Amino acid sequence: MTHLVQAIALGLLIGGVYALMASGLTLIFGVMRIINIAQGAFLILVAMLTWWLWHETGIDPILASVVTTPLMFGFGWVAYRLLLSRIRGSSASMSVLLTFGFALVIEGVLNITAGNKFKSATPSYFEESFRVGAISLPKAQVFGFLAAMAVLGVLYFVLTRTWTGRAIRAATQNPSGAALVGVGATGTAALAFAIGSATTGVGGSILSVLYPFFPASHYDWISRLLGIVVLGGMGSLPGALIGAGILGLAETLTATYGSLNWSTLVFYIVIMVVLLFRPQGLFGAKLREDTV
Amino acid sequence: MRHGMSRLRALPRAHLIAGICLVLLLLYPVVNPWQPYPQGVMLLAFLLAIQASSWNIISGYAGYISLGHSMFLGLGSYTVGVLAVHFGVNPLWVAPLGGITAVIIAILIGSVVLRTRGHAFVIITIAMLLAAQIFAVNLKGITQGSDGITLELPFWDRDFQNIPFYYVFLILMVLTVLFSAWIRRTKFGTGLVAIREDEGKAASIGVNTTRFKIVAYAASSFFIGMAGGVYAYYLTFINPVGSFAILGSVTIVLATLTGGRGTLYGPVLGAFIVQLVSEGATVYGGGSNARVLVFGLALMLVVLFLPKGILPTIEEWWRRRHPENVEYTDQAGALSRAPVTATVTVTERVRAEIAAVNEKDEVAPGEILLDVRGVSKRFGGLTAVDDAGLTVRKGSITALIGPNGSGKTTLFNLISGGMAADSGEIWFDGRRIDGMRPWRRGHLGLGRTYQVTRLFKEMTVQENVVAPLPDSRWRTMFSDAVRGHEAARARELLDIVGLGRFANQPAGALSYGQQKLVELAQVLMLEPKLILLDEPAGGVNPSLLGQLTEVIRELNRSGVTFLIVEHNIPLVLDLCDPVVVFSHGAPIAEGPPDRIRTDPLVLDAYLGDDWRPTEDGDEDGAGDRADETTREAVQ
Repeated sequence: MTHLVQAIALGLLIGGVYALMASGLTLIFGVMRIINIAQGAFLILVAMLTWWLWHETGIDPILASVVTTPLMFGFGWVAYRLLLSRIRGSSASMSVLLTFGFALVIEGVLNITAGNKFKSATPSYFEESFRVGAISLPKAQVFGFLAAMAVLGVLYFVLTRTWTGRAIRAATQNPSGAALVGVGATGTAALAFAIGSATTGVGGSILSVLYPFFPASHYDWISRLLGIVVLGGMGSLPGALIGAGILGLAETLTATYGSLNWSTLVFYIVIMVVLLFRPQGLFGAKLREDTV
Repeated sequence: MRHGMSRLRALPRAHLIAGICLVLLLLYPVVNPWQPYPQGVMLLAFLLAIQASSWNIISGYAGYISLGHSMFLGLGSYTVGVLAVHFGVNPLWVAPLGGITAVIIAILIGSVVLRTRGHAFVIITIAMLLAAQIFAVNLKGITQGSDGITLELPFWDRDFQNIPFYYVFLILMVLTVLFSAWIRRTKFGTGLVAIREDEGKAASIGVNTTRFKIVAYAASSFFIGMAGGVYAYYLTFINPVGSFAILGSVTIVLATLTGGRGTLYGPVLGAFIVQLVSEGATVYGGGSNARVLVFGLALMLVVLFLPKGILPTIEEWWRRRHPENVEYTDQAGALSRAPVTATVTVTERVRAEIAAVNEKDEVAPGEILLDVRGVSKRFGGLTAVDDAGLTVRKGSITALIGPNGSGKTTLFNLISGGMAADSGEIWFDGRRIDGMRPWRRGHLGLGRTYQVTRLFKEMTVQENVVAPLPDSRWRTMFSDAVRGHEAARARELLDIVGLGRFANQPAGALSYGQQKLVELAQVLMLEPKLILLDEPAGGVNPSLLGQLTEVIRELNRSGVTFLIVEHNIPLVLDLCDPVVVFSHGAPIAEGPPDRIRTDPLVLDAYLGDDWRPTEDGDEDGAGDRADETTREAVQ
C-alpha cells in the first residue's frame, strides 16, 4: 500500500513537470499546426546551459531559469522569424522536417561544444527528501513540481486574462477571423512560438536536476512529449495536463511493480490503446477541416 | 502514372538514362573487382536507395511523413539475426522473412494510427522506433539485449569480399524501384496521390482512405525489412542502438527530399547524393560527431531552399524552357450569350453502362431513391440542418434551393458522408447509409460535386477522372490506371463533357468552369445512381453552362438521378422537377417549378418580390427582373 501511494505521489510530481514541458509543444501546435520536433532539443539546450551556470557559479539550477526563460523566449522568437515563417503556407509536413533538422543541428552543436557525456546538476538538496508519513518525496522532485505548476499558472493567466493571450487563442480557433479583427497572424505566431519555447526555460532547468542528460537525449524527450500531446489530443492544453499525468503514473507504477526498463514502453502501449478507441486522443476535438 | 509519364516526357529519356546507369552499375565490379572500399560505399548507397524509394510510397505518394522508417531495417535485421542464432539458418536465405516481419508490424501500427487524418502518424512513427529499440534491449532471451547478436561470416570465399552483397543490394534496389513504379501506375497509386492532395475529396470518390494508407505503409516496409536482413549479414553484428537509429531515418528523409519526393527516380538520385556526401563528411569532416550537424543543416537547407527536390525543380525549369501550347479557352462562343451549339453525346457504351447500373436496381423509376428522415446537424449553438426530411425519386432531377446559410450544403455533406448527422436517418437505394464511411456510399452509387471545385490540382485531368473507385474490390484497386479499360473509360467520360483534349494537362491549369465539368466526369466514373451537384452553375460562363445542362439532361435520360443545389433560378425552373425549398435548415415547400415560383411562402423566404406575379400577369417582366437578381446573386 505504501508502495502504491508512494508511486502515485511520485508519478503526479513527475507528471506535473511533464505537463509543463508538453504545454509549450501543444501551444505551438494549437496556434500554428507546427509540430516542433526541436522542442526536445530546446530542453536539452537549456539543461546544458543550466548545468554550465550551476557548475560555474553555483547558482541553484531551478532558480537559473530566471535567466534561461527570457533567453529561450528570444531564441524562439528569432527561430520563428528566421526559419519557420519562411515556410508558412506550405504543407505541415515541411515544418516537421524543418524542426527535425533544427533539432539535429542543436544536437550536433552541443556534441561539439559540450561533448557527449552524461551530465546532471546536483545541488545540495539533491539527495534529500521530504517525509510525509510513510512516504518520502525527493526535494528536487517537489521543487521541480512547484516550479512547473507556477509556470503553468502564469501561462494559464496569460492565455485567458491578457489581450496577448486572447489574441493567441483567437488565432488558434480561427486565423482568418483573428486577422479580420486586427490580430496579425505572423506576429501572433511568433509570439506563441516564443512563449512555447520559453516554457523550456523552466522545463530544461528542472530536467538538469532530475535526469542525467547528454545531447542525444532529446530523442527520448521529444518522443515522450509528443506521446503526451497525441494522448491528450493535439493542441489541447487540458489534454496535455492529463496526458502528462498518465505518463508520470505509467512510469512510476511500472518502475515500482515491474521494471524501470519497460516504463516508457508501457506509456506507448497506453497511447496505442487510447488511439484504438479514440483516434483523436482524449481531449482532441474532431476538427472541422477533417470533414469533407 | 500519367503524371509520372508526363514528367518523364518532360525530362527526356529518363528511363533510358536510368537503364544506362543500371548497366554501368552492373558492370562496375567486373571492371574493377579488387577494390572493396568503393564497392562498400556503393552498396550502402543501394541500401539507402531501397529505403528512400520505399519511404516514398507512404510519405511521397500518400504524403504521410514517417520519421521512424529505419525501424523496418532494424526489424529485418533482428528477424534474421534471431533466426540465425536460434535455428542456425543462413541469414541470406531467410532475409525475405525480415520483409514479412516488417509488413506485419506496419499493418499493426497502421491499423491504429492511420484511421484518422492528421498528425498523429508522424509522431507515433518516432515513438515506435524508440519502442522497438526498448524491445530489442529488454527482450534479452530472444535478442541478447544490449550485447547484440554476432552472425556467422559470409559463406563465400574471402577473395570475393563484398561483390555478392553488392549484387544482392543492387537487385533489391531495382526490384524496389519497379515495385514503386508499378504502384504508381495502378488506381491504388492514383488514390494515394489523391489522399495527399485532398483526403476528404478522395474519400468521397470511393477511395477507402484507411485501407489505402495502411496498404501503402505496409508496401513501404517490405523491401526495407528484406534489405535489413541482408544488411545484418553484411555487418555480421547487430545491436539495438545501431539497428534502430533515428539517424538512419534522417538519411532516408533527406535522400528522398533531395531527389524529389513523390517522383520515381528522385529517391534513388537523392540516396546516391546523400551517401556520397555523408561518406565525404565522415572521411574529411571529423567523424560521426560532425555527421549529426551536417545532416541537420542539410535537412534544413533542403526544406528551406529546395523543398520540391532536384528532379521536379529540373523538370519545372525544362518546362519553362520548352513551353507547350495548349488552347485553354474555347475562343468561339465562350463569351457569347448565344445558345449552345455544342452537341453533347453520351456514347452508347456509357449509356449502356449507366443503364445497366440503374436497371438492376431494386428501386423502380419514380420510386424513392434517396430518403432523408428527420436529420439534424448542429455546430455549437447553430442548428444548420433542423429535423429535415427530403425525398428524391428515381429518374428525377430534383432541385434544392434556398437562401445562403439555409443548410443546403450541410445537408449534402450529411448525405455524402463528409459529416455525421446528430440525429435522423438517411436511406439510399433501400439501404440505411447514415453510418457508412463516405467511400462506402460512393460504392453504392452516390456521387457528388463541390460548390468550390476540389480537383486534385497536381494530377492531370485524366488522372483525376481515373481516380474514383466504383467498388471496394482489390482487383479494381490494383487495376492499371494508365492503359486499358479504366483509362479508356476516363477518356470517354472526358469526351462526354467535351474536355478530351485537356486529358494530359494539370487539372489546376483549367478554368473554373472547366474544372466543374471535370468534377462531373470524375463522379461519372463512380457509376453513380444519384449525383449531388452543389451549385453547378456558379462561376460558369453561359456557353459552358449550356454544355453542362445538356450533359445533365443526357445523363438523366440514361437513368441517372440528380439532386441539385443552385441559385440560378431560371436554370432550376427550366431543368428541375420537383423543386424543394430550404429555409432555416428544413424544407418549407416542395413541388413542380410552376407552383414553387408562385408559392407565397417561397416568395417571402427566398425568391423575393421580383418573382411575385404582377397584377396584370406580366410574367415575362418578372422573369427578366429575376434574371438580374440571379446574376447579382451569382456575383
